[in-house]
Amino acid sequence: MTSITAYEPGASQLLMGNEAIARGALEAGVGFASAYPGTPSSEIIGSLAEVAGEMGIYVEWSVNEKVALEAAAAASFAGVRAIVAMKQNGLNVASDFLMTLNLTGTVAGLVLVLCDDPAALSSTNEQDSRPIAKWADLPLLEPATFQEAKDMTKWAFELSEEIKNVCLIRSVTRVSHARGDVRLGEPMPPGRQARFASTTVGQFTSMFVPVKHSLLHQKLNKTREIFESSPFNWYAGPEKPELLIVTCGSGWYYSLEAVKTLGLESSVGILKLGTTWPLPEKLVQQHLARTDKVLVVEEVDPFLEGNLKELVGDTFSALGPLTFYGKRSGHLPSFGELDPDRVMGAVSSVLGRERAAVDPEYAKKAQALTGGLVQARMIGFCAGCPHRATLWSVKNALKLDGRGGFVTGDIGCYTMGLGPTGFFQLKTTQAMGSGAGLACGFGKLGRLGFSQPVLAVCGDSTFFHAAIPALINGVYNQSNFTLIILDNSATAMTGFQPHPGTGASAVGEPAPKVDLEALCGSLGIRVEVADPFDLQDTTPKLLDLMQDDRGVRVLISRRKCALVRAREEKAAYKVRVDSEKCRGESCGCARLCTRVFQCPGLVWDSESQTAKIDEVICSGCGVCADICPASAIIREVA
Amino acid sequence: MSLEVKGCRELQSEVIARDLCTLCGACVGMCPYLVAYRGRIVALDECNLAQGRCYAFCPRTSLDLDLLSQTVFGVPYAADELGTVQEIVIARARDEGIRSKAQFGGTVTALASFALDQGLIDSAVLTASDEDMLPSGTAAANAAQILGCAGSNFAAAPTLAAFNRHSAGDAQSIGVVAIPCQALALANMRASPLENRNNIDKLKLVIGLFCTWALRYEGLARFLAQKVPLNRIVRFDIPPPPANLFQVFTDSTRIDIPLDDVRPFIRPACDVCIDMTAEFADISVGAAEGVRGWNTLIIRSHAGRELVEAARAKGIIETAPLPEQNLAHLKEASLLKKKRGLRKVIETSGSEDDLLYLKLTSEAVKGLLS
Repeated sequence: MTSITAYEPGASQLLMGNEAIARGALEAGVGFASAYPGTPSSEIIGSLAEVAGEMGIYVEWSVNEKVALEAAAAASFAGVRAIVAMKQNGLNVASDFLMTLNLTGTVAGLVLVLCDDPAALSSTNEQDSRPIAKWADLPLLEPATFQEAKDMTKWAFELSEEIKNVCLIRSVTRVSHARGDVRLGEPMPPGRQARFASTTVGQFTSMFVPVKHSLLHQKLNKTREIFESSPFNWYAGPEKPELLIVTCGSGWYYSLEAVKTLGLESSVGILKLGTTWPLPEKLVQQHLARTDKVLVVEEVDPFLEGNLKELVGDTFSALGPLTFYGKRSGHLPSFGELDPDRVMGAVSSVLGRERAAVDPEYAKKAQALTGGLVQARMIGFCAGCPHRATLWSVKNALKLDGRGGFVTGDIGCYTMGLGPTGFFQLKTTQAMGSGAGLACGFGKLGRLGFSQPVLAVCGDSTFFHAAIPALINGVYNQSNFTLIILDNSATAMTGFQPHPGTGASAVGEPAPKVDLEALCGSLGIRVEVADPFDLQDTTPKLLDLMQDDRGVRVLISRRKCALVRAREEKAAYKVRVDSEKCRGESCGCARLCTRVFQCPGLVWDSESQTAKIDEVICSGCGVCADICPASAIIREVA
Repeated sequence: MSLEVKGCRELQSEVIARDLCTLCGACVGMCPYLVAYRGRIVALDECNLAQGRCYAFCPRTSLDLDLLSQTVFGVPYAADELGTVQEIVIARARDEGIRSKAQFGGTVTALASFALDQGLIDSAVLTASDEDMLPSGTAAANAAQILGCAGSNFAAAPTLAAFNRHSAGDAQSIGVVAIPCQALALANMRASPLENRNNIDKLKLVIGLFCTWALRYEGLARFLAQKVPLNRIVRFDIPPPPANLFQVFTDSTRIDIPLDDVRPFIRPACDVCIDMTAEFADISVGAAEGVRGWNTLIIRSHAGRELVEAARAKGIIETAPLPEQNLAHLKEASLLKKKRGLRKVIETSGSEDDLLYLKLTSEAVKGLLS
């Protein structure tokens, strides 16, 4: 990945949406950036971290989103422009602080980028973050193009400083992770002296809440005025369209394509809004007056739709009757992602036209074009992933124990442990740290007849993020569970960002390494460490911990992420299959390695009816040699 | 075998889930799926094969007793009290060292060691207990190892898992000391119609043990642990009636527990059992009621007779005629177990036409139930 400072000002470059946002921050003279990684937001802070040294800015991976926002707010309070990025779930963690930060306000520009994940492509929910803007009375910008992603970010700092409050930007996966041309401006060094100077009594405290609340509303009114003339809002279409599409963010491209494909440019107009809270009321009313049919196109919830209707309710006498179409009318779904086809369907339906059907062969044709390049593979753990090995031991230990024990999990690569490559072991996955929190509760149900062993799993990064309070709660309240910390020495799922346990900072410098054993041990509980690749050691250790059955126990299952190992180390073993010994599908094996263990490095050769190693994919961990009942998988020290 | 061979899924649904598993261990040690753990057979993963040796070998799936009898003894199943019998005597080891360690007359230990010594077998699969009295199968290659397994445990043991594992190795001729369900499973292995066999041809001798029931280890262990640390227990005993006691010995003490207190731990699989005397062994050995320090010894097969005669000739064991009254008692007890077992089978299945795991002619059923 080329660094975001490598491009000349004035040039037009192909940038990922998140890079455009980061570049926008640089052009605004940002001095401080912080985040906890979360798809699809991670590349914003990631690309700033790469240029931190040359730009003289501070960038950190924070322990969680709340701390990230607090740290960035401190920079703002000290007069330094700051940016924070997080995914929709992260906003929930940060919102406790945000809901008072809005009252105290900010000093230097503070921009909070919220990256939503419609269809939950890489999330446990598909929450729409935008209502926080209305809830917290903060301005909200929604980029529809990559150029806007950069320009809005840069401008958001100006706005934040003008109203002395946080400015929110809402992106979605297809804006953050797609790429498009962006014309660049000049990156600006921070150039400000950081100094905290609280001028007004109680400015940054919880004094005078109602007064501050009222001030907040004044700031919002001022924002509305500014939004009335924002260049991020525009209308394109006939003077009196038969149908007006009001859209924002990713919905704009879909609407544009739908109208064009249907050939309705002369009868359908599009009002594209970049400033979606507070709504620029005069501007919106002026465009609503063009028609009596309005279709609202947005991802995920009917946020804009609801706000438009609210506005129409206030000004009903001026506007006259309007019919709204969108999510409430069922013309568009209020879940999952939108696409041009869905918008075409809605437009056709509203206008009573026959829908231009998509070529029924489309999917097949697309597959034919890409089929040879992309191998069909189910979602699951990589070859040599330590989580597969840990969950293999977990599965066996739970089966052997036989008391109906189960695993509560949370968010990370290991969430995939709910599926076949994790042997369907994770029975709950909600929020960061919630596996441990749930375990606290399950572990206290003994007096109500509960007798199942409870195993909670969390990753190393997740442990620091949100599992520590749950662990302490379990100890304090004398719950009964085993916490397995899946320590793969990386925030793997979001792209190997360092964390407090890795010994490196966001910018790649050495950092103090928090000692998991010592930290857990300080709680006075039993702490064991296991190498998940050593099945002979891990399974009995787990069984023993599970059957200890008193208080909270911790197993640190430690082995580096397979992808990190691939970069840093040479493979431990050269693995091969002795096809003479391989029992294949016969009684005595029934394809344990390729059917049950399911490491992608192992493939079933239907011709020879034996397993074989895919040498390109095999990471050389050697675990499969231990599960083969016929000792047909041979590992030799590489 | 005329009866249907199914797979691991059915083994779980028809046997394990219905509490019919005897824990003999015949299904363990051949594949990565089934394992024995603290008194239970556990399927670690789903095996998707339609037919498996696990199901074929299980003594609680489909037993064609005639076929088994033809396979082992070359005669149809003798649906009487004691199965195929050539001779019944009382016996004991001549070696006092063996007798002092053994439960009764030390006949089993003496004969197993003798078979090893004579080269009839190169190793013996027996049952040993770990420090917590958890029994499991083990392979012994010398007399000292065999003596180490002397004495009864009373908790069911997956001994045949050790046979499956051991027979896959270098051993060529193996003897097994088996309780009745284990002897049945070994007979099943011999009669298996499956192409993929284990190494049953290496089985040269089965010494059967009389058995009225076996206990669930986990329940028993939890119960005993309240009375004495498990690792202090050295052996168990059930003295002859009318004591009605389960005795637990440590190095220094003896704890007497009413037998009725341990009865709740009897495996439900034992309730449907109709074999007290290990009818499919070469020889069967049990206590000799009222003859302290002696065993009852049933010689069933040609191989069994040869072994006993050679051991007698070499002074390894001594034998004496079985008192008439003992034979009557033995038959009575065995028949009672058959009747109880059969009644329980019919009660469980709900029909005299469905005998769960047994293929018995209706005449035999009627004869036993009359």
